[in-house]
Amino acid sequence: MSKQNAINEISGIQAYHKFNISKKNTFEMPSRVLLVDDEKEFVLTLSERLQMRDMATAVVYNGKSALDLIHNDAPEVMIIDLKMPGIDGMEVLKKVKQTQPEIKVIVLTGHGSEQDKQKCMDLGAFAYMQKPIDINRLSETLKKAHENITADE
Amino acid sequence: MKIIKQLQKFKPAFWDHRDTSGSHPHTTFNFRQKWKLLVLFTSFMALLPLFVMTLVDFSLTRRIIEDEVKTSMSTILSSAATSISFSKDLKKSALDYIVQSYAGENNDVFIVNEDGALLTPSFYYGRPGTSNTFNVSLFNENSGIKEDVAPDGNPVIAGYARIPDSSLIFVLVKSKKWVTDLWLKPRLKLIWYLAVSIVLILLSIMGTATYLVGRIHLTDRKRTEALHHAEYAKKLASIGRLASGVAHEINNPLAIINQKTGLILDLFTLRKDFSSDDRLIPLAGDVLDAVTRCGSITRRLLDFARHMEPSIEMVDIREVIEQVLAFLKKDAEHRSIIISVDTQDVIPDFECDKGSLQQIFLNLIENAFAAMEDGGQLAISIKIKKKDGLIITVADNGRGIAADDINKIFEPFYSSKNDHWGTGLGLSITYGLVKEIGGDIMVKSKIGKGTLFTLTLPLKTEKKHKTAAKHSV
Repeated sequence: MSKQNAINEISGIQAYHKFNISKKNTFEMPSRVLLVDDEKEFVLTLSERLQMRDMATAVVYNGKSALDLIHNDAPEVMIIDLKMPGIDGMEVLKKVKQTQPEIKVIVLTGHGSEQDKQKCMDLGAFAYMQKPIDINRLSETLKKAHENITADE
Repeated sequence: MKIIKQLQKFKPAFWDHRDTSGSHPHTTFNFRQKWKLLVLFTSFMALLPLFVMTLVDFSLTRRIIEDEVKTSMSTILSSAATSISFSKDLKKSALDYIVQSYAGENNDVFIVNEDGALLTPSFYYGRPGTSNTFNVSLFNENSGIKEDVAPDGNPVIAGYARIPDSSLIFVLVKSKKWVTDLWLKPRLKLIWYLAVSIVLILLSIMGTATYLVGRIHLTDRKRTEALHHAEYAKKLASIGRLASGVAHEINNPLAIINQKTGLILDLFTLRKDFSSDDRLIPLAGDVLDAVTRCGSITRRLLDFARHMEPSIEMVDIREVIEQVLAFLKKDAEHRSIIISVDTQDVIPDFECDKGSLQQIFLNLIENAFAAMEDGGQLAISIKIKKKDGLIITVADNGRGIAADDINKIFEPFYSSKNDHWGTGLGLSITYGLVKEIGGDIMVKSKIGKGTLFTLTLPLKTEKKHKTAAKHSV
């Protein structure tokens, strides 16, 4: 882990967590979830809770890191915040849908407006949810996303 | 009193205009004073030449008539003096006869000697031999016309001519009143015309002034109204921005609390490492409940803030009313006001500005609350009207609105005497909003029984909603 962190720091990617796949992956949950949020406390805790629910998660703190990461190691589902420094969530969503449309994107924001929601849904987001989020609802949505992927395949 | 009441009807709206907005010095405009100034100035300019012309005509006519009288008098005088000079040696009776031949209806003719004693009878100065004398000191020339006062006090015009080769003086006296009447009577007619035209001119000036100032007043009021509307909207918008800012800022730490507590709960339930204490799980649950509550508050704030800007979206009218009622729930509970929402038909979602709707119902329900005593009843019903419209009624059993006031309650700055409508803007904004979304609002009320607002809204297609529903998870 510490080695990986060192590599991340050198490569400029902040706090990159390699997808934790040590857990047994149940079939109904997405195996690889990427969380993108600049609120570290929030996203790290969320990540840990998802891991406890048998999901492999990775965390990045900004849009650029997210885009860099999914290039090499595509997740099944992305959970992104809208308001982030640098490349914001909307931009990330747009780019992801252009290059890797198979990745399901769940927008999780504390700044939700009806227009934002409409925009995100139009851009191809899988779901639009507001903070503070209930973990069970988020799990449900992740499950649906996974089912959606399996159905597509 | 009746006349005053009748006159009140003609009183223009601006007459009692008071600037209701103390904070807006630019609207202070004394309409009554402006009206008075306008009327005075116009009247002065219109009537002055009329008066001058009449006065000039008056004095001119007077002079002409008086000259005419004097000319005719001189003619008589000279001819009489000549004819008498030929017959001055005749008997007194013959003299009388000659003299009387010059007497006309308005002429008093007689002969006096140099001392002023009458030789023939006179209408004004009496018979010869009486003590009445004619003031001959006036006559210092051979002939002329002088003004005098008769013994009975009447002013007269006296013409005289010395009879050649004798000491006698022929006098012709005319009553001044007769002369005055001669020119005054036609003049009086003219003065009547003048008076009538003055009244007409004044009336038309006042009418025009009233109309003009009335228009200015109306425009001014509309402007002030618009200004108020804009300011109110601005105020709400800034409250909205503030609310959304607070909500956003609070949402982030709230999300952290949520996740951290959730993690604690997870550690207890999923790993069962720390499950020794029974109280910890419910405690964490309580924290999560509180977070959920906070979250719903911030969401509502955001919702409120969002609708400060108009945006057309699919709305469920019942949801809107429920949201508004949620705002007022505490107040209603506190005052034990019973609220019922009755939906008879299936109400489809329709396209509308949700914020406007929220504000309309907020205003109407707040008004109803203000009008009711504690323990009142508020009944809201929603009905379909011919498939393309909605009829929503908001009825309270409050104190009602007086018949005199009911036509004015949608006017801006109109506040009932009890001042329970607050700023006097709530209902006019409501009216404006209803009109903006293509609806209509009517009110019925009975003092002591309550008030019923009937809102008619157009229903539009609901196609958009279906696609939106597919996305939301």
